Amino acid sequence: MSGGGAGVLHSEARVSVELQTPEMTLNIGPQHPSTHGVLRLVAKVDGERIESVEPVVGYMHRGYEKLAEVRTYPQLTALLNRIDWTAGLANEVPFVVAAERLMGVEVPERAQYIRVVLTEMFRISAHLLFLSSYPLELGASTPLMYALREREHVLDLIEGVTGGRFHPNFNRIGGVKPAAGGGKGQRSVAQDLPRGFLEQTRRAMAKVFEVCDDMEALVRGNEIFQQRTKGVGIIPVEKALEYGVSGPNLRGSGVRFDLRKVEDYLPYDRFDFEVPIGENGDCFDRYVVRLEEIRQAVRIVTQAVDGIPAGPLRARVPRVIKVPRGECYVRAENPKGEMGYYLVSMGGRGPYRVKIRSASFSNISVLPWLLEGALVPDIIAILGSLDFVLGDVDR
Amino acid sequence: MSAHEPGLRDLVSEAVASGVWSEEFGTVKLRVPRSEWVESHRALKGRLPFFSWLSAIDWAADVAVGDAPEPGEETAEEIEERFEVLSRISDVSSGDGLVLSTDLPKDDARLDSLTAVYAGADWHEREAAEMFGIDFVGHPNLAALYLPDGFEGHPLRKSYALLSRQVKPWPGDVDVEAAGGDET
Amino acid sequence: MSIDGFWVLLGVKLLAMAVVIIGGSLVIIYAELKVGAHMQNRVGPYYAGVRWGWAQPLADALKFLQKEDLVPADADTSVFKAAPMVSLMGTMAVFVVVPFSPKLIVRDLDLGIFYALAAASLGTLAMLMAGWSSANKFSLMGGLRAAAQLIAYELPMVLAVIGVVVQAGTLSMVQIVDAQVALGLPYVIGGQAVGFLIFVTASLAELSRTPFDMPIAESELVSGYMTEYSGIRFTMFYLAEYAGLFAAAAIASTLFLGGYYLPGLDAEVWGPFVLLAKVGVLAFLMIWFRWTWPRLREDQLQSFAWRWLVPLSLANIAATAVLKVVL
Repeated sequence: MSGGGAGVLHSEARVSVELQTPEMTLNIGPQHPSTHGVLRLVAKVDGERIESVEPVVGYMHRGYEKLAEVRTYPQLTALLNRIDWTAGLANEVPFVVAAERLMGVEVPERAQYIRVVLTEMFRISAHLLFLSSYPLELGASTPLMYALREREHVLDLIEGVTGGRFHPNFNRIGGVKPAAGGGKGQRSVAQDLPRGFLEQTRRAMAKVFEVCDDMEALVRGNEIFQQRTKGVGIIPVEKALEYGVSGPNLRGSGVRFDLRKVEDYLPYDRFDFEVPIGENGDCFDRYVVRLEEIRQAVRIVTQAVDGIPAGPLRARVPRVIKVPRGECYVRAENPKGEMGYYLVSMGGRGPYRVKIRSASFSNISVLPWLLEGALVPDIIAILGSLDFVLGDVDR
Repeated sequence: MSAHEPGLRDLVSEAVASGVWSEEFGTVKLRVPRSEWVESHRALKGRLPFFSWLSAIDWAADVAVGDAPEPGEETAEEIEERFEVLSRISDVSSGDGLVLSTDLPKDDARLDSLTAVYAGADWHEREAAEMFGIDFVGHPNLAALYLPDGFEGHPLRKSYALLSRQVKPWPGDVDVEAAGGDET
Repeated sequence: MSIDGFWVLLGVKLLAMAVVIIGGSLVIIYAELKVGAHMQNRVGPYYAGVRWGWAQPLADALKFLQKEDLVPADADTSVFKAAPMVSLMGTMAVFVVVPFSPKLIVRDLDLGIFYALAAASLGTLAMLMAGWSSANKFSLMGGLRAAAQLIAYELPMVLAVIGVVVQAGTLSMVQIVDAQVALGLPYVIGGQAVGFLIFVTASLAELSRTPFDMPIAESELVSGYMTEYSGIRFTMFYLAEYAGLFAAAAIASTLFLGGYYLPGLDAEVWGPFVLLAKVGVLAFLMIWFRWTWPRLREDQLQSFAWRWLVPLSLANIAATAVLKVVL
C-alpha cells in the first residue's frame, strides 16, 4: 500500500489476522446413541469441520475365525448367524452351501425355496430396521414406530418357522431343519412349515408394502430429510470398488450389480425381481435403494411362497458330517452387502480354516476417506446411511 | 460360483504369465510367486476392480482336526509348513472373480503391501498382520486393528491355543442330531 | 399505606404468575407426551394418574427433586449452578407482560413487547453458560451451536414483531390487542400473515425445538449443553423449555391472533380461557412439527435464517409501513 501525500502518516501495517482455532480431538463412541454398536471414531475437528477420522474397531471381536477351527460344521451354523445379527439366516447360507459343494450334496428344492423365503424375510427385517433408525438419527422419531410395527409381522413369521426371531439356526448341511423338530417319535407328525404360514405371509407382505408407501410420504418426500441427505457422503464408484464397498452402498452409487443375479447359491433365477440403483451415491440414494429393495424382496417372497414345491427338507447326509478335502469360496448377497466364506477343509468334522468376508468390514473401511472434510452432523448422516452392524465389522 | 466368462482365463494367462490356474468347486484360484504379488494384482485390476478381501492360512503339519483318520480313510499327506496369503478380486458386471494366492515361508513372513494398487487392502492387511504375524512391506500404518493394546501373540496361528481349549479339550462326539430320516 | 398495598398486590400477582407458568408448563409437557404418543401409534403415559397418565409430569418433577446433586469435577461451579436459574428466570420474566384479560396482567408496561423480547434473550446466555462450564466437549459444541442458532433467529423474531408494532402503533401488549379489536381482524389475517409465520418459525428455533434442535441433537451430542445436568438443575432447564413454549405461544397469540379477545365474548370474563385456547392451538402445532420432521443441519439452519427469514421480515416491515401510511 503506497503512502499518502507528503507529510501524512502512512502506515504500511498489513494486519493479517489469522484466527488460531486449535484443533479439537473428539471421541465419538464407543458408547454413543448413533454409532450402531461399539464403533469408536477418533475425529480431529476444527469447529464443525472434520480434519481427519480414525475408526477404532475391535470392541466386539469375538474371534469367529479361530472358533471355527475348533467347532464341527453343525456347531458352526449356530455361531454364524450371530455375525450380522440383523440378517440371521442369511449369514448361515453361504457357509452351508460351501460345505455342501465340497461334499457334493444336492439340496432338495423345497429346502432351497424355504431358504430363499427366510433370507428375503430377513432382508426385509434388516432394511426396515434401517428405515426406522436412520430418520431417528436425523431427528425424526416417528418412522421408527411405523416401520418397527410392520417388522414385527415379519419377525413373527420367522419365529413361527424357525423358533427364533434373530438367531434362527435353521440351516443344516444338506437342507433345513424340520420345523417341528427331529427325533424318532416326532417323525410321523413332523410338519415342515407351520400351518397357515402361506396365508400369514401374504398378509404380512401386504402390510410391509403399505409401510413402504408410508415411508415414501413421511421420509423420502420430506424436504428437511432431503436437505440432510442429498449431496452428503458421496461415494464415487472407483473408491467403492477399491475399498470393497458392496450391497446397497455400491448400488447407491449407480452400479447395477446384485449377487443374487450372478451367483447360484440359491435359486434366485426362478424369481422375477429388479435391482434398484441410485444416481449419485449420496446418503439419499442409499436410503432409496434400501426402500426399493424391500419392495423387491416382498415380490420374491410372494413368488417363492406361491411356488414352494413338495419334497424332503434335507438331503441324505451321514449322521456325522465330514467334509472332504478342498477349498471353496461362496458368497451371497446379504442385506448389508457381499458376505462370503472361504472354506478350507482337510477332511475331518470341522473346517481347517474359515475366512469370513463380512460386508460391513469393507463398507466402513472407506470412512476415513469419506468423512474427511465433512461436517460433524454429517458424520451421523453418513454413518447411518452405510448401515453397518458392529458384529459384522468385528466378527 | 457360476461359470466365469471364457475370456477370463486367457486374459489372466496373458497378464500374469507366472500364475498357475486351478479351478475346483466353482472357485478359481491363481497361485503366483511371492515376488509377483503386487504386479499380478496391478495387471488384473483393470478387469477385476473390486477388492473383496485378503487373508492368510497357516499351514501347520501337526494339527489334529477332528478325529484321527480311521483305517482305510485317506490320510492327510505331509503339509508343507508355510503361510499362504490369499486375496480375492472380482468385477461388478458379470460376477467373475478369482482368488490369488502366494506362499510365504514361516521364518520370513514378509510380503509387499497391496495398498498401492487397491486402497481397500489397508484394513485387511492390518488384520492379517496382527492375526498371523505377517509383515506387509510398504503399508502406511500397520497398527493392530482388532486386538487390544498389549496383546501378545498372533491368534490365528495354529500354534496359538485357545484358552478354552487348554482348559477343556476338543469335545469329540457332540453332534447327535439325526438328519431328517436317515441313520447312515 | 399505598406502597405496602402495591407490594402486596405485586407479590400476589407474581405468585399467581408462577403458578400459572408451572401449571401451564406441566399441561404442555403432558400434551407433548400424549399427542406425540398417539401420533406414533403408542399410548404414552398410562400408569401415573389412573389410565390417563395425567400425573406423569408431576411424578417426573418429584422424581427429579430427590436426585443427587451432581457437579462435574472440572466444571466451573458457580457458572454451572447459575445457568439453569438464568434460563428459567428469563422465561418467567416474559410473563410479566402477557395479558390474560384487559385487567389480568402483572404489569401493562408501555414497553410491553420490547421488554418481553429482551427477557427472552436471557435464554441464550444461559445456554452458553451451561455449555462452557460443563467441562465436556460435547456440551461445549452444543453450547456453541445454541449460541449461533439463537443469535441468528433472534433477528427475524424481533423484525416480525416490529411489523406488528408498526401496524398497531404501540409497544404495549394490551394496546396491541385493542388495536386488533379496533381493526376487527386478528393481525394474522389483518396484514401480518407473513410476520406470523416468521415469528412462529423463529420462536421454534429460539426454543431449540425440532426441526431446529441442533443444540440438543440427541442422537449426536447426547443432550448438548444439558448433558452434565441432573436432578433439580435439569428440571429447571426442562421446565424452562416448556415455559418458553408457553410464553412463545402466548406472545404469538397476543400479537397475531387477538389475544384474549374473541368477538361475541366478554373479554373480562372469558379472556383467560380464550387466550389459553389459542395458546393450546399453537402449542399443538409446535408439538406436531416436532414429531414429524427431522432436524436441519447447523449451516442449513443458519442459511435459512440469514438468507430467507431476515430479508423476508425486512420486506414485511417495509410493506407494513407503506400500507400504514397509505391506508
